[in-house]
Amino acid sequence: MKFKKYIILLFLIPTFAFTIHKYYVSLCEIEYIEEQQSIQIIIGLFIDDIEFSLNKIHNTNLYLATPKEFLNIDGYYEAYLNKHFKIKVNNSNKNYIFIGKEYNDDIVRFYLEITGIQSINSLEINNNCLFEEFEQQQNIVKLKIKNKYKTLYFNRKNNKGLLKF
Amino acid sequence: MYKLLSLSISILLITTTLFAQETASGNERQKGHYNTNKFKQLKQELPTPNNQHNASGAPGYEYTQQQVDYDMNIVLDDKNQRIYGEETITYHNNSKDELDYLWVQLDQNVRSANSKTKDINGSGSRSRYTPSNFTKSFMEKSFDGGFNIEQVTDISDNPITHFINQTMMRVNLPQPLTSGEKFVFTIKWWYNINNYMVIGGRSGFEELSDGNMAYVIAQFFPRLAVYNNVEGWQNMQFWGRSEFALEFGNYNVTITTPADFILNGTGNIQNPREVFSKKQYKRFTEAKKSYENPIFIVTPEEAAETKKDSSQKTKTWKLYAENVRDFAFATSRKYMWDAMAVKLNDKTVMAYSLYPKEGMPLWEEHSTRVVANALKVYSQYTFDYPYPHATSINAEMGMEYPMICFNYGRPNKDGYYSERLKKGMIGVITHEIGHNYFPMIINSDERQWTWMDEGIDSFVQIYALEKYDSKLFPTSKYPKNIVGYMKGDQSKLAPIMSQGDNLFNFSSNAYAKPAAGLFMLRQTIMGPELFDHAFKTYAKRWKFKHPTPADFFRTMEDASAMDLDWFWRGWFYTTGNNDIGIKSVQKYYITDKPTERAKNIVKRYGMTIDQLDPALYLVSEGSEEFTEDLKNNKPEDFKLLNDYLTDNFSKEEKNELKSPKYFYEIKFEKPGDLVMPIIVEFEYEDGTKERKQYPAQIWSKNDQVVTKLFPSNKSITKITVDPDEQTADVNLSNNSWPKNKETKFEKFKKNQIKG
Repeated sequence: MKFKKYIILLFLIPTFAFTIHKYYVSLCEIEYIEEQQSIQIIIGLFIDDIEFSLNKIHNTNLYLATPKEFLNIDGYYEAYLNKHFKIKVNNSNKNYIFIGKEYNDDIVRFYLEITGIQSINSLEINNNCLFEEFEQQQNIVKLKIKNKYKTLYFNRKNNKGLLKF
Repeated sequence: MYKLLSLSISILLITTTLFAQETASGNERQKGHYNTNKFKQLKQELPTPNNQHNASGAPGYEYTQQQVDYDMNIVLDDKNQRIYGEETITYHNNSKDELDYLWVQLDQNVRSANSKTKDINGSGSRSRYTPSNFTKSFMEKSFDGGFNIEQVTDISDNPITHFINQTMMRVNLPQPLTSGEKFVFTIKWWYNINNYMVIGGRSGFEELSDGNMAYVIAQFFPRLAVYNNVEGWQNMQFWGRSEFALEFGNYNVTITTPADFILNGTGNIQNPREVFSKKQYKRFTEAKKSYENPIFIVTPEEAAETKKDSSQKTKTWKLYAENVRDFAFATSRKYMWDAMAVKLNDKTVMAYSLYPKEGMPLWEEHSTRVVANALKVYSQYTFDYPYPHATSINAEMGMEYPMICFNYGRPNKDGYYSERLKKGMIGVITHEIGHNYFPMIINSDERQWTWMDEGIDSFVQIYALEKYDSKLFPTSKYPKNIVGYMKGDQSKLAPIMSQGDNLFNFSSNAYAKPAAGLFMLRQTIMGPELFDHAFKTYAKRWKFKHPTPADFFRTMEDASAMDLDWFWRGWFYTTGNNDIGIKSVQKYYITDKPTERAKNIVKRYGMTIDQLDPALYLVSEGSEEFTEDLKNNKPEDFKLLNDYLTDNFSKEEKNELKSPKYFYEIKFEKPGDLVMPIIVEFEYEDGTKERKQYPAQIWSKNDQVVTKLFPSNKSITKITVDPDEQTADVNLSNNSWPKNKETKFEKFKKNQIKG
C-alpha cells in the first residue's frame, strides 16, 4: 500500500533520479488490407503501466508477465481495451477480435482485427488507454490506409481523431 | 586530342545525373543560405576554448578549482525526526579571482513552507481524489521543512551577515577573499526531516512496518556552491529536479544517533570498535578478505532484536572522507549489513549493503553482488574506483552520493518478488553505484546538464548489467529502445543539450537518449576499441574535476581522430530522428551496343557515338532496350574487354580479376533528419549474406538520396538496411527490398493459429 502511494507521488512530482521507466508513450499501428477486407491493429503498452492500471481497477495484484499471471489474463486485457480503445468505421462502431498478445521485454502488444470492411470512407479512433493514471501519457496512433500514412497524437486533452478518405 | 575529348565525355556520362538535378529547379530566384550542412563543425555551438578548458577537451594550464573542507557535528533526533548540525567550513579560493561573497546551497528549502517549487508546477483538477490526497491537497497545513539557520559566524564567533534567496544563501565576506587565501566560518542549523514516502524527496525518513524509522539523509547541510571557470558561481535555484554542483574537499563528520542504530555514510568509519559490538567488529574486519561471497557484519537476528524506545542512550559515529564532493548517510536500528571485498588491480575496496527485513530475501541475494559487479565494470571503462567502499542502502527511491546510494526493491510480505522487481532493483543499484563516477568523481554540473551524469552513467550501466546477467539484460535492445521516444510528437521533445528543468519526458531525454546514442557511437559508429580509449581519456582527464559538454565532445574526437561533430549536432543539439530506407533498386546488364542514354549525352556535344572509342554500356532491366538475352552476358564474352585484358594483364593476373554479371543500382533515401552510417545486408540466391557499412559522411553532399552501384556475380534476392536495428531507425517499413509484404500482424496471427 505504501509503495503504491509512493508511486502515485512520483508520477505527480517527478523528482526521481533514476529511470522508473523510460517514457509515458504507447504506440498503436493500424493498417487496412483491402484484399482481406481487414483492419489490423497492434497496440503496444508498457507492462508496468497497464499493470498499475489494471491492479488499481481490480484492486488486486495481477503479476503480469510472470509465472504467477492469471490464466484468463486475456479477458482482463480485452475488457480494458474495449473500454479504452474504440473505433468507428464509416460512422458506425465496430467490434474487434482479440487475436492475442505478446510480451516483449517491458512491452505488451495486443493484436486486434476488424474483419468484413469492404471500404473505408471514414475512421474515428478514440484511444484513452492509461490517461486516467498517467498525466504525461501520450498515445501515438499510426495509420496506413489505402497507401496513405497518417500519425495521430493523443493525450488527456485530445483523445479522439477522425479521418476521412 | 581525340583521346582527351573521349575522356572528358566519359566523365560527362558519369556526372549527368548531377546535372539533371541542378537544372531541374524552376525560374524563381533562389535565395542564399548559411551553411546548413549536417557536417558543419560545431564552432558556433561550443564555447571558444581557452586556457582553462582547452581546445582538445582537457583541463588547460590555467584551469582552477576551489576546495571546500567540512568539519561537522550532527545529531539525529529519532523521536521528533529532526536533525541538528554545526559545521565549520574551510573555503580555499584557488581561483585567480577575488571573491566578495560565497554562495551556499540550502537544498532543504525546497520543502520550506514558503518554497516556490510548488508555485511553478501547474496543478489542474484531478478526476479522482482518495481521502488521503484530498486531505493533503486541500485541508492540511503544508510540511514545515527547510533549513533553520541559527547562526553564521567566523572563527572568532563574530556573526557574518548573510542573505537567503530561496535555496541559495549569500554569505558576505568581512573582507574580499583574495586568490590563494582561505576563509573559515561556521554555520549552525536544524530542520524537520521529511517523510519521503508521503511528501517525496531525495532524502528523508520512512516508517517501517514495525513503527521504527529508517533515515536516508542527504542534502542535509548547507553546502558551498561551485565557483568555476565557466559559470562563475553556479547558483541557479534548486527546483527539485535538476540536481547539484559541488566542490571537492575533505569531510570530518561525527553523527550522534540512538545507541542501537546502525549507520554507514560517505567515508570510513574511524571508530568501528566503539560503534559495533565485538562480534560485529570481528565480522567487519573479516569481511575485508571475503572476495567470493558477502558476509553479514550486522546479522538479520541482531537487526530483529532491537526495539523502539528501549533506551535513551546515544552513540557517536565518526567518519572521514577524502576528496569527495558531498556527504550522505543512512541509519536505522532495523538495518542489517552485509559486506564483500572487491579486488581491483592492486587494491581492494568494499561493497556494502544495509537493509531492513523489508528488503529480504532479494537484497541478501543480490545487492552487494551487484555493487561489486558495478565497481568492476565501471573501473574497467574508466579508472579503478578510488574510494574505500561503495554502499547500497535499501530505501524506496534511487539516489546517489559519494560512496553511498539509496536504492529501491522490496519483495511482497511473503517474500515473493517478480522478475521485473528484481530487474529494476539490479538496474537501480548498478545505476546509482555508477554515479560514483558520473558525477561524483567526473564531476559535471548536474544543475546545468542532466545528461552528463545521468546519460553517461546509463550508458556504462548497459555493460555493467550485461556483465551481471546477460540473459536478464541483453544489450540487443539498444539503441532501438529509444525509437518510441524519438518518433514522438515533436512539440514534446527537447534536445539533449537543454537545461534539466526545461525538459519534457525527463528520463527519456536525459537518461535513455544519450545512453542509446553513446551505445550506438561505441558499437556502430566508432567501434569499441576507438571509443573505449577516447572515453577513458575523458574519464581520466576530468577525474576529480569539473568537465563541461564541450570537454566531452572534444575529447572524444581528440583521442580518436574521428570528426564526430555531425553526431553531437544531430543527436545532442536537435530533436531529429533517423530514417534511412531503400528508395529503389535497378538491375543493369552489360552490352557493347551504345545505349540511347549514352548516345543522347554525346549528341549534346555535337558528336555521334561512333566518333568515340568502342566501349561497354549498362542496360537497365525493364527499359526499352532491354532484351532477355542480355541476362546471359558475361564481361568476358566481349571481345573488346577480352582484348584489353589480354594486352594489359598476365594470365595469372587475369585469373584474379572478378567478373561481375549483375549490376544493381541502389538508391538510398533518407526521410529522417539525422545523418547516420548506412548498413546494408545483401542476401544472394545461394542463401549467403554479405554486409557493407558506409560511413555517415556518405550524406555529406546529398542529404536526401544517395546512389550506389553494386557489381555482383551472384543474383541478389534481398537487400536490407540496418538489419540489426543498430541506428535507431524510426521507420523500418522502407528498410528492405523487395518490400516485405507480410505484415507483422499477419505473422503473429499465423503463429497464433499454429500454436
